[in-house]
Amino acid sequence: MIEIKIDGKKIEIEKGSTILEAAKKLDITIPAICSREVVEAYGACRLCVVDVKEGDQTGMVTSCNYPIRNEIEVFTQSDRVKKTRKMLLEMMLSRWPNVNLIKKFAEEYGITKPRMINPFVDYSENACILCGLCVNACEEIVWEKIIGFAGRGENRRVVMPFEKHYDACIGCSTCANICPTGAIYMTDIPNHPVDEKRIDKYGMKITEQMALLDDQQCDMRGIGTAHLTQIMNDYDLLPTTNYRFGSHKEADKLHSDVFKKKYITQGLPDGCWLGCTMSCAKSADDFELKTGPYKGHKVIIDGPEYETVAGCGANLGIFNPEFVLEANFYCDTYGIDTISYATGLAFAMECFENGILDKERTGGLELTFGNEDAAFEILHQMGRGQGFGIIVGQGIRKMKKIYAKKFNLSHEQIQFMQDIGMECKGLEYSEYVTKESLAMQGGYGLALKGAQHDEAWLIFMDMVNNQIPTFEDKAEALHYFPMFRTWFGLMGLCKLPWNDVEPADNAETDEPAKVPGHVEGYVNFFSAMTGKEIDKHELIRQSERVYNFQRVFNFRLGYGNRESDRIPYRSAGPVTVEEYESRAERYDKQLIEKWNYNIAGKTSKEKRDHLRKMREKDYQHLCDVVYKRRGWDNNGVPTIEKMKELGMALPSVVEVLKRV
Amino acid sequence: MKKLTPDQIKRIQEKRTNEIRKYKSSLMVCAGTGCVSADSLTLKELLEKELRKNSLQDKYLVVPTGCNGFCAQGPILVIQPEGIFYQKVSPELIPEIIENLENETYVEKLLFQDKESNTLIPKMENIKFFSKQRLIALRNKGIIDPENIDDSIARGAYLSLVKIMDMKPEDIIDEVKNSGLRGRGGGGFPTGKKWEVSYNAAKEKKEIPYIICNADEGDPGAFMDRSIIEADPHTVIEGMIIGAKAIGTAAGYVYIRKEYPLALKRLQIAIEQAKEYGLLGENILNSGFNFEIYVHRGAGAFVCGESTALIASIGGKAGEPTASYIYPAETGFKGKPTIVNNVETWANIPVIFEKGANWFASIGSGDKSFSVHKRSTGTKVFSLVGDIENTGLVEVPMGITLREIIYDIGGGIPNGRDFKAIQTGGPSGGCLPKSLLDLAVDFDTLTEAGSMMGSGGMIVMDDKTCMVDVAKYFINFLKDESCGKCTPCREGLITLSDILTKITAGKGEEKYLDLMKELAETMEIASLCALGQTAANPVLSTIKYFREEYESHIKDKKCPAGICKELISYSINENCTGCTICAKKCPVEAISGESKEKHIIDKNKCIKCNVCYEVCKFDAIIIE
Repeated sequence: MIEIKIDGKKIEIEKGSTILEAAKKLDITIPAICSREVVEAYGACRLCVVDVKEGDQTGMVTSCNYPIRNEIEVFTQSDRVKKTRKMLLEMMLSRWPNVNLIKKFAEEYGITKPRMINPFVDYSENACILCGLCVNACEEIVWEKIIGFAGRGENRRVVMPFEKHYDACIGCSTCANICPTGAIYMTDIPNHPVDEKRIDKYGMKITEQMALLDDQQCDMRGIGTAHLTQIMNDYDLLPTTNYRFGSHKEADKLHSDVFKKKYITQGLPDGCWLGCTMSCAKSADDFELKTGPYKGHKVIIDGPEYETVAGCGANLGIFNPEFVLEANFYCDTYGIDTISYATGLAFAMECFENGILDKERTGGLELTFGNEDAAFEILHQMGRGQGFGIIVGQGIRKMKKIYAKKFNLSHEQIQFMQDIGMECKGLEYSEYVTKESLAMQGGYGLALKGAQHDEAWLIFMDMVNNQIPTFEDKAEALHYFPMFRTWFGLMGLCKLPWNDVEPADNAETDEPAKVPGHVEGYVNFFSAMTGKEIDKHELIRQSERVYNFQRVFNFRLGYGNRESDRIPYRSAGPVTVEEYESRAERYDKQLIEKWNYNIAGKTSKEKRDHLRKMREKDYQHLCDVVYKRRGWDNNGVPTIEKMKELGMALPSVVEVLKRV
Repeated sequence: MKKLTPDQIKRIQEKRTNEIRKYKSSLMVCAGTGCVSADSLTLKELLEKELRKNSLQDKYLVVPTGCNGFCAQGPILVIQPEGIFYQKVSPELIPEIIENLENETYVEKLLFQDKESNTLIPKMENIKFFSKQRLIALRNKGIIDPENIDDSIARGAYLSLVKIMDMKPEDIIDEVKNSGLRGRGGGGFPTGKKWEVSYNAAKEKKEIPYIICNADEGDPGAFMDRSIIEADPHTVIEGMIIGAKAIGTAAGYVYIRKEYPLALKRLQIAIEQAKEYGLLGENILNSGFNFEIYVHRGAGAFVCGESTALIASIGGKAGEPTASYIYPAETGFKGKPTIVNNVETWANIPVIFEKGANWFASIGSGDKSFSVHKRSTGTKVFSLVGDIENTGLVEVPMGITLREIIYDIGGGIPNGRDFKAIQTGGPSGGCLPKSLLDLAVDFDTLTEAGSMMGSGGMIVMDDKTCMVDVAKYFINFLKDESCGKCTPCREGLITLSDILTKITAGKGEEKYLDLMKELAETMEIASLCALGQTAANPVLSTIKYFREEYESHIKDKKCPAGICKELISYSINENCTGCTICAKKCPVEAISGESKEKHIIDKNKCIKCNVCYEVCKFDAIIIE
């Protein structure tokens, strides 16, 4: 912190802040055209000049980009400053005599008619005044370079490359919205909304938050979802060696900074959605592959996303970012999902370590955790459709069946596979350890498509912040969030801008987890787009119709009842004694406090068994309340009444439900 | 790749010196851009051919050198060690040159003729153009083959590097500080201080800094940096390696404009040769120190000579300046501390370590009781052009007067005309009048007088020059080169250009002078970079020293120098003999008259092309 004086008023301000920022805090207005909080100070219009006195030296600087580093005294209204601003405005007015913004400032400084004639005078009210806001917004906020300056001096102008229409412009309208004169405007509004202005209003809010807050929040623009790795490890939620544990001493090797420093060096979005201000998808460049058909090639690799780092890294016991990247590349190249590959292989590895598999059964592969060569070989075999890779490639549900049938396993072994095979409804788990969050167990188990976190991600609400302590609270969350998130699917929107960047005041709202500021935005977005006024409740209703219809559809296919919502115990608690003992303090405490269980003289195995009983009971109870909240019967099937209420009692639906 | 040790460098020096000594003389053919344009490379080949024909190739060595400096007299041939200076050498005289060499006599028609004494001067050291100069940055010009590293080493190249290898960074920086060396690119910032800032910033932030050599010389009529690289690229490279060692970097860049193909080629050859000897690259001189130089070609924008714009350009962005409230020395290329020094500055570094900071500081001007940084020490290279007898490249001690440069070295104003003004400091420098001819040429004195040192362009103007027109020329140059980012520079130059155009067209108003001064003031204090801050200098200095000329244009609608077309008219006086030549040459048939009778110009037809004035032998054409 440093103390400075502006026009005689003292203020303490962080070192490196600009004079303009300091002046704002003192409510001192300094005129500025090219400076906005959301973009880096550009220093082009020069209108914000002020006099700065440091020691016995005085000089004129632009307040928008002058970093305060010493104890200075600033004069925003000295004669010299006023005279300079006046001349600058006279210059501007001579070139753009009818632009309102300039006229307004000029009037303030007492200029009505400039003394000079500017040969490049532009009489338009909406003339481009070369402030650069559009160019900088496109580059800094949207992370595109759709527009830029061409020409020098008097020929300077804002253009698209080669002064031709550039297809990469998706019409995100950021430039048009930031333009202070209306020189840029939309000629054709994409998708023809009913009320464009209303959409812009909420769209620009997100844009602003992204520009101002992302680097302090999730750093989605810096590294994307991969920022989560270290956080998950800190909270014991990063799956390691097939979800046995939630953290690892070597996890730092997969820290997002490692990727940022060494691999994802371009700092650019991969363009998953052109014009997206979040631009969280990244790419690693110049990566030389060490295995497979493209060995020796230098390639660009999409991602890695958090799921890939956690899955192909920690969950396989491999703490090598280069393995993660190469696995990511080959999964993408072969058309294999990185989560299913990783979670499936982790299951196979644990089976190997427990004697269910051996080298003979795997075709000679030593499928131990951390064995990169074997992990690559399985991936290439999957790609080629050869060897043991064919079996792993069919996923956990099939693997369990095949192993049981082929290898003549014991009942215990088959049960063990049920416990550790991290799948639900046949879909492999994504990469979060859910043992300590009952709500999140429901988030996975009760999701329609299988064990995926994209319907509800409740770990922090439930486990860290304890915002949903009762079963009813959890059920409400397991109703609201899946419905809310389904709505993104209905609209074709990405979910990430909803809560991976949040309004600065989100924590002070009544329901921070829902991000009310953004919900309001989506409601307005829908209304403005379609002309049909809705509220936040209608938004949920829209989803409910589809969600329930999907559940009925699932039911028809045999995946829509309590049985299909069962989860492997590994996702609810410690399967092995080793797991129990690794977090014994936590489990012991819970047994005593939550279950009134006397642990004195009990072995770890006994404690583990009791804990399991309790937790499995809890999960079933959770299903009861959630089904109720969702308007389903006790077996998890939507009732005909519910479908009627939703206006979805279509004859085909009723026909299916009558079979219940 | 060879990895030379310090001893091996000294051995190369001895070996090459002995090799050269075996020859009776060396024939130094100037292969600077000026002489190459005058076909000096053919001359070199023919010389070699002729020597072989006479079996003299082991007696005389032909050396293509960098710019000799006396560009007006090219192609130039200098015989060393005798120091015989031949000018405007044409190939058919080659046999004669060799014959005279053998006889130890001179080819008289190729000798320099001193206009004052009307005598022939055979030796370079006696020609005033050379004798008044003091060579530091250009110490090897014209005496080495810039494409042969051994030649440079024979003259002591890389021995300063050997010297500093064991020095502590702080001591290297101190030595540069003590020399008083100030940036030769225009700003005049103390070089040692700049290094210190970078060194400290890098240390504090634990970052690896960068160094850059600014070879983006863009002033009209300036060719100092180009000539230094063409004549002695290794001094620049050695200077950069010393700088790199001082601040602890592994990467340096040379930003050189694309219009300098010869300099670029020689620089690249020199870098390759230095790498070959292990003077660049990994483990330099087996000391464990690594340093690479990368060449980045600029596309020829004047503003890219400004260090922040240059850094942007190297980084692949548009060459536009950014605020430098935090100096590039602290946060520059890729956000790392970056030293940007100009070619000439780097070229001075090895000499400072060869002869010592005190030696360097003893040369130059300023009150010696002041600290070295408040003085101007060492020498400065200028390109002397315009209305001057001896056009060329000169290096003079700081503090020399303009008069000495113009009259002693430059040989005065040609065609019997009078001196009117000298423009120093490049386009945004100022024009100084006759009354200031005894002004000392150094950083502070020039700035005080309303001009500046700049990078070293000097344009001499005779009395046929209109100062308003000159101001218009430079303002238009700057208007075209301004990047247009900030308001005062862009709009100020547009407006100044418009006003000057009006004045030179006789449409000026009296209020314009004050308005121009006001515009200039705002440009100076409010512009983003040095280009804009100094862009009004041509206007301010010409108003300051030649105000009456503006007034004639504005009030009397006259151009006293007879340059501004719209303010002059041509007529024929009584001197006319009726020779008819003007009528014949007039492109628009505006002149009529019978043979041997006085001719008349039809002012309605006349386009003021000045052809009649130029062809008339009787001073009969009057311009009013």
